[in-house]
Amino acid sequence: MLEILIYGAVSSAIYAMLAVGFTLIFGVARILNLAHGAFYALGAYAAYAFTSLLHWPLFIAAPLAVLLVALFGVLMERFLVRPLRYSQLAVLMITLSVSLAVEQGLFITFGSEYRNVPSFVADKISIGGVDIGGQRLLTLIAGVLVLLLLWLFIQRTRLGAAILAVSQDPEAAQYMGIPTNRIFSVVMAISAGTAALAGVLVSPFLTVQPTMGLLPMVKAFAIVIVGGLGSIPGSILAALLLGYSETIVAYLISSSWTELVSLVAVVITLMIKPSGLLGRRAAF
Amino acid sequence: MPLLEVADLSVRYGKALAVEQVSVTVGQGELVGVLGPNGAGKTTLLKAISRAIGSTGTLKFKGETLERLPPYDVVARGICHCPEGRRLFPELSVLKNLQLGAYLRSNKAEIAEDLERVFALFPVLKERQQQQSSTLSGGEQQMVAIGRAMMGRPELLLLDEPSVGIAPRLKGLIFDAIEKIRKDGTAILIVEQDATATLRIADRVYVLEHGRTVREGRAKELAGDEYIRQVYLGV
Repeated sequence: MLEILIYGAVSSAIYAMLAVGFTLIFGVARILNLAHGAFYALGAYAAYAFTSLLHWPLFIAAPLAVLLVALFGVLMERFLVRPLRYSQLAVLMITLSVSLAVEQGLFITFGSEYRNVPSFVADKISIGGVDIGGQRLLTLIAGVLVLLLLWLFIQRTRLGAAILAVSQDPEAAQYMGIPTNRIFSVVMAISAGTAALAGVLVSPFLTVQPTMGLLPMVKAFAIVIVGGLGSIPGSILAALLLGYSETIVAYLISSSWTELVSLVAVVITLMIKPSGLLGRRAAF
Repeated sequence: MPLLEVADLSVRYGKALAVEQVSVTVGQGELVGVLGPNGAGKTTLLKAISRAIGSTGTLKFKGETLERLPPYDVVARGICHCPEGRRLFPELSVLKNLQLGAYLRSNKAEIAEDLERVFALFPVLKERQQQQSSTLSGGEQQMVAIGRAMMGRPELLLLDEPSVGIAPRLKGLIFDAIEKIRKDGTAILIVEQDATATLRIADRVYVLEHGRTVREGRAKELAGDEYIRQVYLGV
């Protein structure tokens, strides 16, 4: 039971980090970003390149990886997405293309082999008789901290208030003197950065290979549909639901069945409550 | 030199010409009204001045051109726009909405001073400051919208149909507040369908129809104009 509680919390933290960025950029800029999984993969590969190839210390490699991917996200939004932002279909195609290009780029650069990243925390820690890898525990703590900081940033700062304003009415926000395009860049940086951080944190205990962004992308998409597109609390709630459901299914049935959980959750949500648990409007 | 100078301004939506060669001036501390039926181009004119939409022609504020500026720079120069339909941030509190009006300002003491000024103008907002703005009545929402624009400490306030959808009792309060704002020295360009109230409070008035200026002059003179009396005042 305790095992389910702890491992479910770790999965939920990873999913929440992924989904919050995905829902944030949709909620603020209406960008349905299919390249979100690529940010996660780039974060993991940057961690691999800096630590295993360049032998940089982790405390430099990890933040640098997150910053570089955030910058990549900002450049993608500025030069590829922004000129076409008013066409949802064009945005979908552009972000899908970026996702595939990143995957191909990683394949060409690093090959198709699985890569290993050293753990930030190598020790195992025992909680109530349950052994948990230090890296997983770090991921859980980092996930909770990131979400807490993000919440504080949005609720308590001037820039956070501007993000909320743009998400609710971008035109009215302009009349307040809020530079909406700069806000989109900030939000894209946060979105890409949180996805990259998730990639960096899981890279020591999950598989690092070029297609690693696809499944998390599907999960992030599923979570925001279940939670409600554009709703951060909804995404966190759905991440918890999905993280624990998958862990329970893995323990009670088999880990081969876990990938079905998110798909079933999406179908049920779209049939019963298309706006999601805490969403304002139907996702599609 | 007028505070705002708009000359030969035209705005197109695709192939449709929404505003055609319109010229408007607003002097320091002046209250200027723009009347006209739905679709006359009044809202488009205000949006063009705020640079929320592109336009051709001359747009000058305090002698400096606004033509290439992004909307946030227009606010920084001293023009605040209170848009049609109020456009509050519905999930934010009244206080957060008002504070966002001062987004470009950094002097906290001055912002607090202006907040008290808004509360003095609309006392009900002080009581409701923690309330979510979407739960207010239409009139109260309009008060927040005007107060929010005033939080930018504008030299020129653009007001788009402030009396639409408001109970008659609150309408009077809104127009009284507009007069007070003008008396305190802020110039106002107000777009309205309520011709009686606009002709009462404005110094000068422009009448737009089909995107063109069809009448302009001092409010008192236009109030006696036969065409205005028949079409806009219904007498």
